[in-house]
Amino acid sequence: MRNPIRIVMNKELARVFNDKKMIFSLFIMPAILMVAMYSFMGKAANSMLEDIEEHVPVIYIQNAPEGFGDFAGKSGIIANIQYKEGNKTDEDIKNGIFEGNTDLYVVFEDDFLNKIASYDTGSQAPEIKTYYNPSEDYSKEARDKFLSLVAEPYRQTLLSERVGNLDKLTVFVVDRDPASSIIMDESKAGGKMMGMLLPYLIVILLFTGPMSLGIDAITGEKERGTLASMLVSPAKRSQIVLGKLLALSVLSCLSAIVYAGSIAFSLPKLYEGMESANMVMTVTPLQILMLLAIMLTLVYLYVSIVAAICVFARTSKEAGTYVSPAYIVVLVAGILTMFSGNKETPLGMFAIPVYGSASAIQKLLVNELGFSQFGLSICGNLIAAAIFTIIITKAFNSEKVMLNA
Amino acid sequence: MIEIQNLTKVYKLSKKQMAKQKTKKNSKVAVQDVSLRAEKGEIYGLLGPNGAGKTTTLRCIATLLQPTDGSILVCGHDTVKDSEAVRKSIGFLTTDIKLDPQFSPKYMFYFFGRLHGLTDQEIEERKKELFSYFGITEFEDKKIEELSTGMKQKAAIAVSLVHDPEVVIFDEPTNGLDIVTARSVTEYLKKLREEGKLVLISTHIMTEAEKLCDRIGIIISGKKVMDGTLSEILEATGGEDLEDAFFHLYKQYSKEDED
Repeated sequence: MRNPIRIVMNKELARVFNDKKMIFSLFIMPAILMVAMYSFMGKAANSMLEDIEEHVPVIYIQNAPEGFGDFAGKSGIIANIQYKEGNKTDEDIKNGIFEGNTDLYVVFEDDFLNKIASYDTGSQAPEIKTYYNPSEDYSKEARDKFLSLVAEPYRQTLLSERVGNLDKLTVFVVDRDPASSIIMDESKAGGKMMGMLLPYLIVILLFTGPMSLGIDAITGEKERGTLASMLVSPAKRSQIVLGKLLALSVLSCLSAIVYAGSIAFSLPKLYEGMESANMVMTVTPLQILMLLAIMLTLVYLYVSIVAAICVFARTSKEAGTYVSPAYIVVLVAGILTMFSGNKETPLGMFAIPVYGSASAIQKLLVNELGFSQFGLSICGNLIAAAIFTIIITKAFNSEKVMLNA
Repeated sequence: MIEIQNLTKVYKLSKKQMAKQKTKKNSKVAVQDVSLRAEKGEIYGLLGPNGAGKTTTLRCIATLLQPTDGSILVCGHDTVKDSEAVRKSIGFLTTDIKLDPQFSPKYMFYFFGRLHGLTDQEIEERKKELFSYFGITEFEDKKIEELSTGMKQKAAIAVSLVHDPEVVIFDEPTNGLDIVTARSVTEYLKKLREEGKLVLISTHIMTEAEKLCDRIGIIISGKKVMDGTLSEILEATGGEDLEDAFFHLYKQYSKEDED
């Protein structure tokens, strides 16, 4: 005799796989959406950076010392530099910066070169005062460029005029070759970026499958009266429950794989042109197995949570309302790990369902997950899932819950 | 056979239900002290108005509900202590238990056949017999949601009989069916009786009970007020036909109930 758990499970799977609309909405549409969304975000971020790069800043300069105009011209800065004449007041220019029409206003102290020439030890050095608007990307970029390309070389030039050979001033240098200074585990560095984002995404995306499927498979069937037909068959209630939960877990895993796959495919698009493009992820087979184990227990936990909520709801609408708060709790658990920083998570915390899994995935991606942490996170999920499964089975045995009697 | 002894079923009411039914009592007695016995090879009909307790009684027999008091034996198995054995020996059909609309009659037939532990060969043989009797063969691969009401009901009946049960319990089996389909259903129930099965139906259609049932139990306000063959009931009440007899009893017992 075939196992009733498998018979029920096969039927639940057939319900989805025999329905083209379901396949499309569960597996194909999310993939298309994710790829499209990430490519779009990447494109938008790129074009924003390019736009700032290409923008020709408008810079006003007040009291420019003699020869500064030539110096700025040769410095290589691409900017529309205007030397302030009498017709524009300080206020006009500052308003321009405030409104975003002007990007930078540079004011040299009166008698700038003379003050430098007559500098005595102990007296105050003359000042170049800049006005800019940090909330405007163009303005911030204009100031950065002006300081590095114009102001700093200008200072060096004036300094060498004063002391002759600048090398005399150099006592020591730090890192002549900066690239050779970096000693890091590349997989850890790559993992750190992914480690911040991935646990959050996995923890949340795994929930979306059970949420949409569970409501229909439990409350929907109860509502339609099709569940009762199974209750009068000789199958045990616990077998029906397990069959349903396992089928939901399989479907949720598939949907999670689709999500994860499309994220993996699209992430490089998002980071195209961004600084953090040098992400190197190296994972060992053991890590993949551990990740799978965490994800599987997490999926089963989610399915049992959703099913436990759905079994008590009378209508699908009601079930949707009840499931939402659970989703928010999951969201918060995911976000918490995203901002946990470098603080060491106490071992006991790994036993907290959902949160422990997110922390464990985070540790796993930076090569720091220990077996005790891994074991605790899995046990935490499984114990919670078992409790929910018992609750569901009890509910399936209750005539009040199943038949509204 | 089915043996019910002093069956009482009390529903607890939530505050919402209490408000809906305009009652201050937090419980409702759906069935009170009902005893009956139905034997193999007969069609037993439970007759009563809506809300009399027919469906509750049938659900208790089918193990969906647990009796508050009393006991039920189906083919010698207790519905509470040995509910799986009871479910193996019964085919149960009510209007509020439906087949999955996304699947075909053939898929559902195989699904329930397998749940009852039949082999695919046994299921195929049963399918040939039942599907050809009810004329389902030609639409066996169509989705149930695409079928007419009559077709759905026929498919549901066929599926509920997949395991060739000893006891067949149908709650208002001809409800909502056209006259042709209704006739084919009642004919099949008679065929089951000839095969030595026990058929228990509930109905509020007097003519159906008169023509179909060997014995009739009349339920009013949760109590069984009389049972016997049609002639026994007519004799006891002095009515001309079943409808007459029923109203005679209804007047008598609903009055008692008010008192």
